[in-house]
Amino acid sequence: MMGKNVSVTKDTLVPEVQKLAEAKARFITATCLDLGDQFQVYYSFDQDLQEVDLQLMVGKDEEVPSITGQYLCALLIENEMKELFGMKVKDIAIDFGGKMLLTDTSPQLPMVKAVKKSGEDQKGGE
Amino acid sequence: MAPRTIAPFGPQHPVLPEPLQLKIGYEDEKVVEVVPAIGYCHRGVEKAGELNEFPKNVFLVERICGICSFIHALCYCMGVEELMKLEVPERAKYLRVVYSELSRVHSHLLWLGLLADAFGFESLFMEFWRVREKVLDLMEMTSGDRVIMSSCTIGGVRRDISPEQAKEIEKTLAWVRNQYNRLAPVVLNDYTVKKRTVGVGVVTKEQAVALGCVGPTLRGSGVNQDLRQTGYAVYKELGFEPITADGGDSYSRAVVRAKETYQAIDLTLEALAKMPAGEILNKPKGNPQGETVMRVEQPRGELFYYLKGDGSRNLERLRVRTPTYANIPSLLVMLPGSQMADVPVITLSIDPCISCTER
Repeated sequence: MMGKNVSVTKDTLVPEVQKLAEAKARFITATCLDLGDQFQVYYSFDQDLQEVDLQLMVGKDEEVPSITGQYLCALLIENEMKELFGMKVKDIAIDFGGKMLLTDTSPQLPMVKAVKKSGEDQKGGE
Repeated sequence: MAPRTIAPFGPQHPVLPEPLQLKIGYEDEKVVEVVPAIGYCHRGVEKAGELNEFPKNVFLVERICGICSFIHALCYCMGVEELMKLEVPERAKYLRVVYSELSRVHSHLLWLGLLADAFGFESLFMEFWRVREKVLDLMEMTSGDRVIMSSCTIGGVRRDISPEQAKEIEKTLAWVRNQYNRLAPVVLNDYTVKKRTVGVGVVTKEQAVALGCVGPTLRGSGVNQDLRQTGYAVYKELGFEPITADGGDSYSRAVVRAKETYQAIDLTLEALAKMPAGEILNKPKGNPQGETVMRVEQPRGELFYYLKGDGSRNLERLRVRTPTYANIPSLLVMLPGSQMADVPVITLSIDPCISCTER
C-alpha cells in the first residue's frame, strides 16, 4: 500500500528530503509518471518499515533539483528518470549525461507516453 | 605520491557472471575512487509491463531474475490483488512462503559458492552448488521447472503441493541441512576466508541507512530490518525475527546469509507443517484500478513494486526497484580505501544481480 503522502514543490523538495535524512529515513527509490503535460514523481522513503512518499508535480520543462546532496544513493534513479522520461534533474552527484542506460541508437525517452514531434503525436520508444 | 590510475573492473570479469562496470581509481594498490556504470543489458521491462495485459505481466516479471523469479511474481501479484481487493486463500499464502524460502535457500547457497570461487576456493564452491542442486530439484518436482516456476499467479498459486511432495521436501531439506552443517563453518570459521573478509569493505550502520542499503547488506551493518517483519503472506504466523551482524564488513554480510540459510530451511518446514487444507486460487474478476506500492524481502533484500491501474487490461505504470539497484551505491563507500585485490570479494559481498538491476 502507499505510504504517508507529503506534497512538495521543486522548491520544497530538498528541504523536505533534508528533514527525512536528519530523521534517519532510508531512501527507497523514486517513481516517475508521465501525466502528459507534467511529471508526477514519488520519492519513497522508509522509516521503521513505514513508507513516506514525497509527491512532486512538475512541468516537463521545469528543472528539478537533485537530492543526491542528501542521499547519494539517488544517483542511479535520477539519471534513469533523466534518460527514460527526459526529466530535467540538475546537479546529480554523478551525471552520466544521458548515457547510463541508453546509447546513441537507443529509442529516445522510451518511457514517455506521447512525444510531440513536428506537430504530430508519436508514441514514446518507437 | 603515487600517480592515480583508472582501471575498468568489468563489464567482463571472472567474478562477474553478469555485466557491471566499476571505474576504479587507484594509487599504488589502494582504491581511492569508484564510479559504477550499468546499462549493458537494460531490457525495458517496465515499458513492456505497460504494453502487456496485466495477467501476462506475471510471466514477464518472473523473468527479471533467474534466482528470485518466484518473489518477483509474488510481489507483482500481491500488488494486483490489493488493487483488485482480491482475497488470497490461506493455503496459497503458505505455499507462497514455502516457495519464497526455498528460493532464499538456493540463492544463498549459490552466493556462498560464488564467494568461495572469488577466493579461488573451488572445491568449496562446488560443494555449495552440489547441495543447491537438491533445492532446485524440489522446485522441479513441485512446479515442473527448476528456475522459472510460474507457481505464483494473481489470486493464489497454480499448483498445490501434495502430502507426498511435502514429505519429500522435508526429507531433502534434512539432507541439505546435514550437508550445510559441514560447509557453513568453513565460511564462518576458516582462517583464510576470514583474512579476506573481516574488516574488509566496511559500511557503518549510519552509512548503510544513508546509502539506502537493503537485505543482508543492511542487516550486516547491524540494522534490524527485514520486510518479512511486516508479516506479508503468512510470515506473521511464523514468528519471524531478522538476522543481523554488527561488523558492517564482507564477513558480516556472509554471516547474515549463512544464518539466513538455516532460518529459511526452518521457515519452509514450519510453513509446510502449519499449512491448512483448502483452496489455492481465488480467480480474479475485473481489472486493476488505483495505485499501490508493494514491498517484499528477496534473498538480496527489499523488492519494491509500484503499480498504477486505470481499470483497463493494461497497467498505466509498473515500476520495479530491485535490491541490487539499491545496494550498488554502497560500493562507493565500501571500496575506497581497500586494496585492489579485495575489489572482487567486496563487490561480491553485496550479492550483485545485474539481471535484476537491468530490468
